[in-house]
Parts: sequence; C-alpha cells; structure tokens
Amino acid sequence: MNSNKKLSALSIAILSALLTGCGGDAETLIIERDPIVEAPDDSDGGEGAAPEDDFLIESAGRLAVMSDMAITIVDLDDGMQLDTFSLTYDGSSMYSSANSRYVVVSSRNNDVVEFIDGGLWREDHVEHLHDYEQAPVMSDFVLTGSRPTHVGSFDGQMTVFYDGDSEAGVPASVHVLNDGDITSESDAIPTLDYSVNMHGVAKAHDDILLSTIRRDDSESTSNTKILPDQIGVYHLHDGEYELEQTLEQACPDLHGAAQNETFFVFGCADGVIIAHAHDDDFESVKVDNIPELDGLRVGSVYGHKEAELFLGVASSRATGELVLVSINPSSNEMEVVDWQSEADASPLSYAFSYDGEALVILDDAGYVSKYELHMHDGEVEFEFEGQLQIAEDDVSSMPQGTNFSMTMAQNDHLLFVADPIAQHVLHINIDTLEIESDTELDVVPSGIVWVGIEEDEHDHD
Amino acid sequence: MRKLSKVALIVCSSLCATATAQTIQGQVTNKKGLPVAGALIELEGSGLEVTTDENGKFVIEDASKGVKELHIRASDYAHLHKDITVSSDDSTEVSFVLERSPIEVIDVYASPIHLSSMESAIPVNVLGGDSLRREQAATLGDTLEQLPGVHTNFHAKVASTPIIRGLSGPRVLIAQNGLDVSDVSRVGPDHSVASEASTAQQIEVLRGPATLFYGSGAIGGVVNVVDKRVPTSTDTQGEWLVQHSSVDDQNLASFNATTGTGNVAFYADGFFRDANDYEVPVNPELEHDDHDEDHDEEHDSANTVANSSEESSGFTLGTSYLLDNGYVGISVEKFNREYGIPGHSHGEEEHDDHDDEHNHDDEHDHGGESEHGDVFADLEQTKIQLLSELTFEDSILSKVNMRAGYTDYEHAEIEAGIAGTTFKNETYELRLDLMHQTFAGFNGGLSIHYKASDVEAQGSEAFTPPSETEMLALSLLEERHFGDVLLQFGGRIERVTLNADQVLLPTIDAHGHDDHSGDEDSHDHDHDAHDHDDHGHSDADITRAFYADHEFTPMSLSAGIVWDFTPGYNVGLSVSRSQRAPSASELLSFGPHIGTRTYEVGALFALEQHNGESEITLTDDVIDLETANNIDLTFRKTQGDVSFIANLFYNQIDNYYYQINTGLFADDGHNHDHTDEHEGHAHEMHASESEDDHSGELPVFLFQTDDVILHGFEAQIAWQVTDSFKASAFGDFVRARLENGGDLPRTPPLRFGTQLSYENEALSAHLDITRFQSQDRIADFETDTDGYTLVDLHVTYDLAIFDQDTSLFFRGENLTDTEARVHTSFLKDIAPRPGRNLTVGIQGYF
Repeated sequence: MNSNKKLSALSIAILSALLTGCGGDAETLIIERDPIVEAPDDSDGGEGAAPEDDFLIESAGRLAVMSDMAITIVDLDDGMQLDTFSLTYDGSSMYSSANSRYVVVSSRNNDVVEFIDGGLWREDHVEHLHDYEQAPVMSDFVLTGSRPTHVGSFDGQMTVFYDGDSEAGVPASVHVLNDGDITSESDAIPTLDYSVNMHGVAKAHDDILLSTIRRDDSESTSNTKILPDQIGVYHLHDGEYELEQTLEQACPDLHGAAQNETFFVFGCADGVIIAHAHDDDFESVKVDNIPELDGLRVGSVYGHKEAELFLGVASSRATGELVLVSINPSSNEMEVVDWQSEADASPLSYAFSYDGEALVILDDAGYVSKYELHMHDGEVEFEFEGQLQIAEDDVSSMPQGTNFSMTMAQNDHLLFVADPIAQHVLHINIDTLEIESDTELDVVPSGIVWVGIEEDEHDHD
Repeated sequence: MRKLSKVALIVCSSLCATATAQTIQGQVTNKKGLPVAGALIELEGSGLEVTTDENGKFVIEDASKGVKELHIRASDYAHLHKDITVSSDDSTEVSFVLERSPIEVIDVYASPIHLSSMESAIPVNVLGGDSLRREQAATLGDTLEQLPGVHTNFHAKVASTPIIRGLSGPRVLIAQNGLDVSDVSRVGPDHSVASEASTAQQIEVLRGPATLFYGSGAIGGVVNVVDKRVPTSTDTQGEWLVQHSSVDDQNLASFNATTGTGNVAFYADGFFRDANDYEVPVNPELEHDDHDEDHDEEHDSANTVANSSEESSGFTLGTSYLLDNGYVGISVEKFNREYGIPGHSHGEEEHDDHDDEHNHDDEHDHGGESEHGDVFADLEQTKIQLLSELTFEDSILSKVNMRAGYTDYEHAEIEAGIAGTTFKNETYELRLDLMHQTFAGFNGGLSIHYKASDVEAQGSEAFTPPSETEMLALSLLEERHFGDVLLQFGGRIERVTLNADQVLLPTIDAHGHDDHSGDEDSHDHDHDAHDHDDHGHSDADITRAFYADHEFTPMSLSAGIVWDFTPGYNVGLSVSRSQRAPSASELLSFGPHIGTRTYEVGALFALEQHNGESEITLTDDVIDLETANNIDLTFRKTQGDVSFIANLFYNQIDNYYYQINTGLFADDGHNHDHTDEHEGHAHEMHASESEDDHSGELPVFLFQTDDVILHGFEAQIAWQVTDSFKASAFGDFVRARLENGGDLPRTPPLRFGTQLSYENEALSAHLDITRFQSQDRIADFETDTDGYTLVDLHVTYDLAIFDQDTSLFFRGENLTDTEARVHTSFLKDIAPRPGRNLTVGIQGYF
C-alpha cells in the first residue's frame, strides 16, 4: 500500500509539473564556424575574398533592462524589445560580460551566476573580423559558488568573487572567465579556492590574479574580521591559481579595488595600496589617507584600462558624508575631487567612458556630472566639465526599490541613463553632454547594462 | 540506455511473491444465445488474458479479490466492459452476452490505455485481418487511404505516405511495433517508408495529436505497423499470399509464420514484390492550355508513368523466450527496396517538348543505363527489435512493456549508375511502459521513452546537413470508469536536442526582377531568353558555416471522456495541447530537393531585402515549438445492426512550420557537367517571370511559421442488412487554413464513399465506390484539382484444398479507368493514379 501511495504521489508530481509548465521551452545556440571559401569558377574576377567590412555589423548594441523579476533585451538601433527573460531569483545583480556579449546575472543569496547571450558578438577569423547578430537567448551555462558578490571585468576577463559562507562552513573562491568560456560552456574555468570565507575582491590581468587574503582572525589587522587585510599575487597553473607572492603592506578592512593597464589599487581603512608588476615581482606602496577624508576611508575604487587616474570613493553610510578622491598611481598621490553636486544629491554610480578619457557620475537628484582627465601643471587630474539634468520629474515620485541607473556603450561615446519615473532610457553623447535620443520602455527599469560589439579605439596592436 | 536498464532492474526486483488466488470462470455468448469462440477476455490492469473455447467458455485463474474490470472482445462484435466482484470464494461464475458491431473493432496493441475505434476518447482506426489484406498496397500511404481521415500523398505509387487530417511529413510518425520506423520518409515525399504491409498483422492509425504516446513527430497522428516478429506463442500458424496485378505487371509473394518448441518461439516473414512502370488512362503529364486538345490519341502507346517501377524484398526472423508471466524476444529485419523516382529526371527540360518525352517509356531496367537520366532509389534497412512484456500480480506494477530498437537505414539516389545522394539514418530507441495495478479504479502507467537519431545526407541533394537528434520523454497515461463515463488522460514531457555540426549558408547572388508573377499557370508568356551569365558571380563563393544546437522541451497534455449515455451509444470528447520540436529539415535545410522540386531553405534562415536585393541570412526570429490545441468530438453507435462513428475536430496549431514560395529561383545543383559532388554550395538565385524558362533551376521555398487552423470531420456508418450482406458508407473532410487568411497546400479534398459487402461461408465480395471531390482551396503556388470517382471490387472464394484455409481472390481497382489526379501529391501533374488494375491471387492461413 505504501508503495501504491508512492506511485500515485509520483504521478501527481509529474502531472502537476506538466500542468504548471504548460508552455514548452525552446532554446537555440548558433556558433559560426570558419566559412568555406571556394575559388571563383571563372577567371575574369580574380579579386579574391570580399573586403573585410563585409563581415562587420553596424549596430548601436543592445540594452539589458532589469525590472521586477525580468530582464528585457532592447535593440538600440530601433528600440524594439527583442525578448524578455524572467529571473529565477529575486535580488539579482546585473553586469556585462568581459567582452560585453553576455548579460551576467548574479544572485548572491542563491549562489548562482547566470548568463544571457545578448546576441551580438565578434569573432576573429584571422583574415577578417566577423560580427554576428542573433536573437538574445538564455545560456545554459551557469556558474555556481557560495555568495557571488564582486563581479568585475578587465581586458577580456571577468572575475567573480564568491564570499563563501561562514555559517555553512563554505570558503571563498574566485572564478576568472572570458566570453568564449561562456559560449563553449566550458567546464574548466580557472579557479582560486580559499580555505576561509571573506568579503574579498580579485582583479585579473592575463594569467595573474591579485586577490585578497584573510588571515587568521588573531593576526588580522581588520576591525571587521570578515574583511581581508592582505593582497596575494596568484599565477595561473593548470587551471588553478597558485599564490606566488603576498604584498608586504597590510590593508586593514580591505574593500574595493580597481586596475588599469599597469596598476592595481586596493582600498584600506588607513589608505590605499597601489601595486604593479616589476620584473618578476609585484611592487606595492601604501598611500595614507589624506586629512581631508576626516575619518572616512576609501571603500570603492574605479579605474579604466586607459585611464591614468583612479577614482576613490570615501563615504559613510551612517552620516551620508562623501568625499571623492583621485588616486594617481604614478606619483602615489591622493587628492580630493571637487564633487559639484546639487545640495543633497548623492552619487548613484560612476563610470568611465569607453576610451577612458572621461568619468561620469550619476546622482539621485537626476544629474549626470562629467569629468575629463586633464593635464594641469604636469599633473593629471579629474576636471569638471559640466552637468546635465536628465530627469524633469520630481525625483520624490521615484518608484520604490528603483533609482536612476546608467551604463556606458563600449563602442561609442554614448551613455545610457534609465529613468524609472519616465520609463525611458536617454542616449547621452558624452562628448557634447547632450541628450541625443531616448528609448521608451514598457517596464520600470531598476538597472541597465549595455551589451554588444565593443570597439577599442586605442588597441591598435 | 544504461540508466534505463537500471530502472528496469529496480522495477523487476521490486516484484515479489504470491498471495491467495481466486478463479473466475464463465461463458461468452451472442444475442441468440450461441457461444462465441475465440473471444478474448482481459482482466484490466493485470495483464491477464484468456481466450474462450469452442463452447464460449473461459477460466481466469490467479485473480485477486475485489472489484475487477473485464474487457471482452471478439471480431464482428462490440467490445464489452464489465465490472465483476471477485469474492473470497474460490470461484466466481459470470456470463457475458456480446452485441454485434458492423464496424470492425480492433484494439490498439500495447497501449497503456484502451484505444479502439469505438471506445477511446481519441479517434483511432485499426486495419487488420482480412480488411488489411484487401487494402494492402506497395506503399503505406496507399494501404491506408480507405480509412476515414487518412489520405495518401500518392507519390506515383512508389513512395506514398499517409496524410492524416491534412497533415503529413514530420507531423505524422510512422512506427513499427511502437518504435519509430526510422527511415527518411518524413523528410521528403519521394522517400519511401521502410515498412511493409503485406507481412503486418495490423496497422493502427491515431488521428489527431498523438504526441502523448509517441512524442514530437506525432502531432498530426501516428501510423503503427504491428507484426508478430517477436512471437508470443509457440503455436504453429501463419499465412501466405501470391498475387499478380495487371496495371504494373506486379508480382507479389509474402508469408509469415510462427512456431516454437518448449518455451522458445520462432517467427519468420518474407516478401518479394516486383513491378514495372504503371499504366494510366491518359497522358500522365497534365496538359497546359497552350497544348493540343487531342493529346491522348497522339500518345496512345505511352500512357505509363515513366520511372515508376519498383522491386522490394524483405525478411524478418524473430525468436522469443516465453515465461509464465510474459515473454522476451528479439528480431532482425532486412528490408530492401529499389524504386524509380518519377519527375526526378535531371538534365532535361520538363515541360517544353511533350512529343519527345512520351514515346519510349515502356520498360526500364534500373541496372542498366537509362538514357534520360532517370533516378532511382536503392533503399536498405536493417532493423533489430527487442520486445518484452511481463505481467506481475503481487506488485505495484501489473505489467512492464519494454521495446528497444536499433535501425540502420540507408538509401542512395542513383543517377546514371552513380550514387548522387545518399541518405542515412541510424537510430537507437527504448520505450519502457510501466503499468500499475488498478489503483482507486485507475488503470494506466508511466512510460519512459528515449530515442537518438543520427541523420545525414551526402551528395548533390544533401539539402539538410547531418544532424543528431536525441529525445528523452516521460509520460503518464491513465483511465478510469466512473459508471457510464470513461475518463482518459495523460501528460508527456520531453527533452529534444538537435545538433548539427555544419549548417551551411551559401552565398547567394539574389536578384529582384521588375516583373514577376511566379505563377505556375502562366505558361503563355513569351519565353524571353534569359541570359544567366548576366548574373555571373565572379567573386569567390563563400559559404558560411554554423554549429547549431537546439534544445526543446515540448509538453503535451490530453484529457478525454467517453460517456455511454444510453446503451449502445456513446459520445466522446477529447481536448489536448501538444507540442512538437521542429525537425532538422525544417530548420537547417539549404539546397535543392528534387523530390519536391523546390530549393528548400530552413527556418533558421530568413529572407531580407537590402536595397531591393534579396538576401538570405540567419533569421532573427526565435526558433520555437509548434503547439497544437485540438478538440475532438465523437458520437458513436457501438452495437446493433447499424453502427456509426462521427468525429468533428478543430485543431489550432500555433507556430506551424511550413514553406512559402519566395518567388526566387535557384540552381538545382545539377550543373550540367557533373564534375564535383560538392558543388551545390553556391547557387545562383533570382526571381523571374515563370517557371518554364528555368530549366536547371528550382523555385526557392522558405520555411517559416504561422498560426494555422485545421478543422473537419470524419464519419462512417455500417448496416448489417442480413447475416451475409452489409452496407457501409464513409466521408471525410478537412479544411486547412492560415489564421490570417490563405490555405495550406496539398490539402485532401472532400471525400465520401460506400462499401457493399456480401459474405457467406465460401464467398465474400466487396464493392467500393469512392468519390474524391475537386479541390479549389489552394495555396498561391498550387493549381486546382478535379474530382474523380474510383470503383473497386474485391472477391474472395474459399477453396477446400490442401486441407487448409485457402482462398482465391480477385481484385479490380479503378474499374472505370478514370483519370484521377491526387491533389495531395507532389507529382499531381505528372503521375495520376493507375488505370484499371486487375489482380488475381491466392492466399492461405494455417
């Protein structure tokens, strides 16, 4: 009888599974291979292969718009909503992948990172670059790890730092992957496995990974012990990162990091650590907090591969105080950046333009402020260029749980700002700081990410 | 495979010992009180079956206590369902009276729920016994076309496949003993079905969505050819047949036999058929307006359909081990077929010069050189099936049916002695039906189904790239009687993956011309010389190549009721939602398909306009499942001297994959000097005025999706006038249209017919008159087709020789020798139905 019951329970389970998912699923993955080129039949042509441009696609790219429990992919060329993907988990964060082909959806509380293929990508076919334009599609590829928290990209590599979970006894770990790994659904993602959990951060460059180290609590200089206080230099061997060097300076309560072509910057309670490769080793210096910080510390750092300066953000969540600093890794100097804000505006996000020549700050009063990197008396500094009001509506009518958000195109001087009140995305020319156009949305955007084919103006090698 | 056998192991090991058993005994009689011998009594949900003796008596031993449902069936009688209560006494006495049914009722073999024409919620036909022998033809399509709702696509008698309610190809699944026949007949109408009717025991047709039972590919219906290749008894019995037909000089011999010793049973069958080009009453080529009226007389001697000859043979060997509670057996089949493919001639112009073409087609020898480039197919298939049925008493499972198959199929299309294109299909399949004991009145079970197919085509007509398809499915089917109401329902979830390593997208030089109608009928144009060199392509031809990986999760749900609202009558309602994953040919094709005379482009591609130029690129559309929502209403009178079945159906199919004419033309891939098999990559494509000035070119048809609606009816009625005389009539109709207007191509016309039959001890005679109405609901590239009436007569006379059940038969088909063009045929214009055909033969049972 017992087994009878089991059987009927099974039957019910199956039937209810069938009933709940009445719409079947269909997924398509298309990967272009090298074309088959046949020589011309007749000899009168003789031009050989078609010019390179034949394989390139003119496209402004696509936007991933997050709203509620879904991500909608919008075509920036015509404003069409291409497809909508419902999110498995609430509270997901959205990023673009290292080469902007995929939308990265990370759910910290559910230990999973998922990917949506934006459908625009470029392949290097040696004799020409080959662009592809496809319908966006949910990738089967999934990363799993405990508490994926910091996700960052640099020069074709994306790092995911998993904080781990002390209650469950799961240590922290890092994954480093490129877009090709996602495409091929690679099962050999380079990994760094720790033996302890931490709220850390990692930055990859080629086969080097600078990643945080949490010492034993008795040795740690951190006040909050879950924050690491050391930086390790790891090198990739056979798919795993091995520790080669530990930077000499301690970095108590380490939080926030960024990198450019040469330097890595980490934020500590008492200053910032700047590291760079020198011969076979990494050299590092500690730049102490300047007095203007007045008790605050740099907790977030922003950088760009081509930008000589880093932006450090020192703020107190409790008091709402905020100081922006520029960090010059060549001269090891920290200076206050004049934050030209409306009275009670707080920055929401920071971004470098795709060529690294400008920095924009979006604030909650509905303004975009632009800074350019300028030489002044032989020193580079962030120079305020102007401000653009992007929202006409009363910001107090902001729908709950949303705010303005922005994303930078990686193929043009365009910034996209999503406005949940007006339910549109503004296309802003960063050079002129003017609104060029807008895309109406059917949804209330809580975040946007640009995906598409990147153009790298400065990469002529 | 390994995973599933584990499941089987677990299932088997969970079955345990015995309990106290009861006996049910009784008698089956007809209304006149005469005993019915040979009636089958099945104890539902237990797998127990017994047959009545000559006194109509039966005994079921080893029954357990409680309320039991018995299913009693005998030929010529209506099936009977009875609930009986088995008490704790040792023996329960019962008696049953069977009512006559003028409509033959045969149960579908090995289904988790009861399916028959009279009892199930979904419409079913089963052709078996003498009816099957009468109707059997060289092809499956022509064999089944007398069934209501089923038409043939009549591919010149050589490759006809069934059309069920207007659907065919990848929407109708052909199975052999419940396993996919695994040929390539779903890909092209010129590809023959690798299954033979003359050795079959019964052929079952499920009309309408049957994805629940068979999965993707059965959204339009299923044809299951059942034979006894894995024998279930050691009794020596069998049948044989020899016949000759006049219209195509066809000779057919076939036999099947079962025997055995001890616990081991053996089976063998074989057949051989040889036919020449068949005769037709008129010039096979449909004349166009601008030709002479008196064509017929001019071509008196030439009224045969060229290149329609056929030679097939096959044999099957099987053996099984009989257990107390079932059997396990294995069989091997070798199937060969060589057949001409009419209309598949290369390197010559089709329409322009009738006088040359039709004077010399009397005999073709495929082995030799055929001077006008006729193409014939050489098909070979090896099929291994492992079948087992085990019943259990004191376990949660009452029955475990296991069916496993391996099929290795290959056919080569041979032109001028050289294999032009070779199609291959290698398939592994496993079905495991786990039927539970009657539980809370429910009978049914769970099925696990796995299938992996590796399909490839090589050569100039390899229009679909090699692909691998894998399917894993889980389904549940249940039924329960609530008094007069039978409830049948089920669900199936499936995962289909389709991988192709090398999907090709040739660069196509596409041209838009100012003036194009693309109409087949407009042959009265001045045929301007069309200098193709104008569009010469001097650039290197670049063929883009892709890896394509599709994953589909089709789900199907169905529920139906049959209500016996008054004795002898019932009404059935069935509602289903079925999904199908598109097939490789629908998605990935890109190339000339001579079988359909089109250049096929799959749904993965799309036609785009750039500055007035047509270009085929990858589609931006999402490749999605096809979904059918179907309602079936059935009204039946199941017993008495008159019985009838009437079905109404309404089937809305969303995202229906079908082909549209792009108005473009492309190279047929046979570049008059056959130097390289792999040329076909770069095909020039352009739009133009009409078809005739494009020899060596094919119209480009692109697969796309739209919502379509199919609705129609089937009806049949039979009246047993006297014991020996029966009259019946049937009719069917389907309307197949696009939701946004327009009709689907090759839709069967309205059809109705009658059969008068006389049967006594020694003689049986059947006269069939079938009327096919004209079809004028056509797609834009089609033409209307005229109606016609076919008259067939079949007479069988029993001989008292050899001390066996032997009979002589005579069959006359198309007795009025009428011109009959089949609207559903791709070869409508060049291959009408055969003319008057007289067949004589002798058959016997032992």
